[in-house]
Amino acid sequence: MLEVLFIGLSLGSVLLLVALGLAITYGAMGVINMAHGEMVMVGAYVTVLSGIWLGANIFVAIPLAFIVTALLGLLIEKLVVRKLYGRLLDTLLATWGIAILIQQAVRLEFGLSFFGIHIEGLGPGLQNVAVPEFLQGAFSIGGAEINRYRAFIILVTAILALLTWLIMYRTPIGTQVRAIIRNPKMAAACGIDVERVNALTFAFGSGLAGIAGVMVSGFKTVFPDMGTPMVVDGFLVVVMGGVGSLLGSVFSAGILGEINGLVASVTNDILARAVVFGIVIAIIILKPKGLFALKGR
Amino acid sequence: MLTFANVNSFYDRSHILHDVSLDIPTGQITAILGRNGTGKTTLLKTLMGLTDRSEGQIRLEGDDLAMLPTFRRARAGIAYVPQGREIIPDFTIRNNILMGAFARTDGKREIPPLVAELFPYLMQNLDRNGGVLSGGQQQQLAIARALAADPKIILLDEPNEGIQPSIVQEIEAIIVRLNRDLGLTVLLVEQNIPFVRRAAQRFAMMEKGRVVEAGAIGDLTDEMVHRHMAV
Repeated sequence: MLEVLFIGLSLGSVLLLVALGLAITYGAMGVINMAHGEMVMVGAYVTVLSGIWLGANIFVAIPLAFIVTALLGLLIEKLVVRKLYGRLLDTLLATWGIAILIQQAVRLEFGLSFFGIHIEGLGPGLQNVAVPEFLQGAFSIGGAEINRYRAFIILVTAILALLTWLIMYRTPIGTQVRAIIRNPKMAAACGIDVERVNALTFAFGSGLAGIAGVMVSGFKTVFPDMGTPMVVDGFLVVVMGGVGSLLGSVFSAGILGEINGLVASVTNDILARAVVFGIVIAIIILKPKGLFALKGR
Repeated sequence: MLTFANVNSFYDRSHILHDVSLDIPTGQITAILGRNGTGKTTLLKTLMGLTDRSEGQIRLEGDDLAMLPTFRRARAGIAYVPQGREIIPDFTIRNNILMGAFARTDGKREIPPLVAELFPYLMQNLDRNGGVLSGGQQQQLAIARALAADPKIILLDEPNEGIQPSIVQEIEAIIVRLNRDLGLTVLLVEQNIPFVRRAAQRFAMMEKGRVVEAGAIGDLTDEMVHRHMAV
């Protein structure tokens, strides 16, 4: 039983890393970022490529993936999303297009495959990442066999969630983000540079998704389309937790991860997914604003 | 001197302000008068860059603000106390006040001594949420937030609307004090003519999005008030 709960917790951890960025960007900017899943994919490919070309392990890949995906997120914000604030459906379509562009860029090796040039680690095929030896295998606590790598995912997520909380609640920039989520016009009238804060928020959220990609690459195969289901899962967490609420995202990621893990352990993954969708639908019907919606405004 | 020159302002396709030209002298209280829906609030929002679109020039001591984004105008020294206060209910009183300090150009983030002096009740409850305050206390909080920006000009949109009478006098006294003792320029949207006559040095009367009368407060006749403000 403990093992199952532990698997659920590790699934929830990846969900949370994906959802944190979405929760903040959707909450602060009203942008539905369909390319968020591609940040996970890019993060996973950074792990693959840094393994092949730099001989680096997953610990090097974490900061590297954060930097690459944060910069990519910043670029997307500056070039596209910035022009679309206040146009929710347009952001959905535009970022979906960006998602497809990024997928194809990886699949076609940035177009080089047309010229017969191949980059090892890219392309349409499946990639695998070797996890460092000391993260392989399992250790036992109270008779339960605990997978080391899953424990590592939970630890990394806990650290990043804590870091995000500290930034949001203990720094001036976090106060600015929270003020923008609640009242963007008044935030601007108080001297907050909403555009700049939004760009940084977008970059940070993308970077977290990139780290989620590093984590995922350790237990799933890496391929160009892998981000699409991730963004769906991320939005499930955000919608269930309540838009703009970090605490809501933490809880709903944990709950959905556990449900997924529990149902999968007695039946199979596909049924588990169906149950998760059913529960989210029920919650949206009963509490349309999510479990931890912000009051007021 | 703050100067509006041929300012037009729009929400979506609605043309709200029509060719507004107005001088707001430094160090004085200028009252914006008129019936509801004549563009008084829009004038303040246009000054902050919060309408959808505007044309014309808005100059503060010679610098044109009209093309600047809202936060730059706030950092140029204009602090806004909107109608309805718009404090953040789930921020503490401290954080609500300090929100104003993001407009400071020296990067200081502190509650000014003046705020502590004017609003002792707020200072005793800094860690409570802004949402628990009464309307009058929220108005004080909104003024405190504006003062935390260390502004040159403060915009007050009907500061006494919906506030219990006991606090109205207090807020009136604070507005006068900010101007007389501290030399703050005040742009005040207000319906209460006796208070305007006591406090303001200048006035501008608005009708249908235009400034129809403007001048020294001594020139505000009962006839003008009757013609442009009687319901």
